[in-house]
Amino acid sequence: MGLTGALLPGALLVLWWIASDKGFLAEQILPPPAYVYETARDMIASGELFHHAGVSLRRVVVGFAFGAAAGLSLGVAMGLSRRAEDYLKPLFLAFAQIPTLGWIPLLMLLVGIDEALKFIVIAKGAFVPMVVNTFAGIRGVSPKLIEVGRALKFSDWQTLRLIVLPGAVPSIFTGIRYGLTHSWTSLVGVELLASSEGLGYLLVWGRQMFWLDMVIVAIIVIGLVGFAMDKSLDRTEVLIQRWKREELAA
Amino acid sequence: MCNPAHFQIRKVTREFNVNGEKLTALDAVSLDIAEGEFVTIVGASGCGKSTLLRLGAGLDTTYSGRISHEGKVVTGPSLDRGMVFQEPRLFPWLTVERNVALGLENSKFTKSEKKRLVEEHLELVGLAGFARAYPHQLSGGMAQRAGIARGLVNRPNVLFLDEPFGALDAITKARLQDELNDIWARERITMVLVTHDVEEAVYLGDRVVVMSPRPGRIRDIVAVDLPRPRERTSAALARVRTRVLESLNSTESKPSVGPRLVEGERGSKSGPLRPAVALAN
Ligand SMILES: Nc1ncnc2c1ncn2[C@@H]1O[C@H](COP(=O)(O)OP(=O)(O)OP(=O)(O)O)[C@@H](O)[C@H]1O
Ligand SMILES: [Mg+2]
Repeated sequence: MGLTGALLPGALLVLWWIASDKGFLAEQILPPPAYVYETARDMIASGELFHHAGVSLRRVVVGFAFGAAAGLSLGVAMGLSRRAEDYLKPLFLAFAQIPTLGWIPLLMLLVGIDEALKFIVIAKGAFVPMVVNTFAGIRGVSPKLIEVGRALKFSDWQTLRLIVLPGAVPSIFTGIRYGLTHSWTSLVGVELLASSEGLGYLLVWGRQMFWLDMVIVAIIVIGLVGFAMDKSLDRTEVLIQRWKREELAA
Repeated sequence: MCNPAHFQIRKVTREFNVNGEKLTALDAVSLDIAEGEFVTIVGASGCGKSTLLRLGAGLDTTYSGRISHEGKVVTGPSLDRGMVFQEPRLFPWLTVERNVALGLENSKFTKSEKKRLVEEHLELVGLAGFARAYPHQLSGGMAQRAGIARGLVNRPNVLFLDEPFGALDAITKARLQDELNDIWARERITMVLVTHDVEEAVYLGDRVVVMSPRPGRIRDIVAVDLPRPRERTSAALARVRTRVLESLNSTESKPSVGPRLVEGERGSKSGPLRPAVALAN
């Protein structure tokens, strides 16, 4: 990727600068870049930005951990057992069709609007892609390799540990990446609706106060954090799956 | 060769269902293999060679008839029966070394013995320098050799090899044939080797089983009563080869019943004659 990926953001920045300089839009709606930069510096200096980003990150880490663990378990169960698949898959598919936002009114009545609500919504974001990808990964393991295990008298546990799980790892990793992205975006969604802290809250608050500079800072930070998370997962994936990356590079 | 009925295949029939139609992959195939014998199998593509090996190894148990090993009916896989598959079937996420070590996963050796055995076998197939490589970094022939090492490392009592040298160049192939022959001579492992190479079949086999397709049957069994080590270019070996080729190519108009050119074969089981060389599928 290198620098080419920075071209478009750079161009947008220039466009933004020209647009505000020439006054295409009112300053209240589109504050100039320099002004937004000032705001960002102030927010960093006061610790406000880190506080809100920290709150959001903690919510995502906890919610994602629960959602991903549950999704992995369900995916493995359905992948390994036809019976589990028969019982659980229809319900899961129906559940996955309902957008996260659709659950929020019901959840608000059940668990209120405190941290539990955020954790559940974030966990759901991670859960669905984890189940789908883990299941597909396990079912996609080559029957020829499983037959090698049979010829070598592998126990069920050995087959799982030495063939099925390693074979499913690439797909599970895809699930983790999609899951984290979904968690992050649904976090911001739920913070917009019900929160007094976090990056999503900064968006709402900034809009209500008509501090568009703050809104823009929050948007940029949300994007950067998401980007950084995806990048670091990418790195981890390369490390864990050396055999696969080299195959693609070859 | 002590026990002549060490491994018995009796009237084994295996049918597949292909698009709703019945396909007889093996039709009442019978073959007795003696302990320590080296049997090679040749036959046109699709005549059921791989199917027969999978049944023998206990990987496929949906057949009629009877298969027994040391008097016990084969009901599933066993570490006493090894298999080298037609494709290398290496685990892409494991190094070559770890792939070979899988063959010892359930054997009773100690850790250091296992390590030594793996090294020995990598050396044997000429992959010592690639112990830490991943399968995608190997050529087709190298991957095949890694598969052979995995099948051999556990020293099974019977080893089934499905075209193990198919993807190798002539020199490597000849060398590995000799290595296999040495291992066999040293350890008296019963070997059942499928090949498309008639030369290989007569060079390695005590008996060459000739199969014919649709339905898969044993058409002929040619004994190779020649002392070992054998001379690849000897006239005697060439005569046996011609005999096997004739049997392979015989058609209904050219019945193979008649005076046998080669002595000492056990009751060959040839069904109604069919063209041996037919287009696959
Ligand atoms: N799992 C299966 N399902 C359906 N048909 C099968 C299956 N396995 C094998 N067959 C059929 O059985 C016949 C014998 O197949 P087999 O793989 O034993 O042939 P082969 O002698 O090993 O051929 P080749 O030399 O090409 O490897 C073929 O006609 C094939 O289509
Ligand atoms: Mg075959």
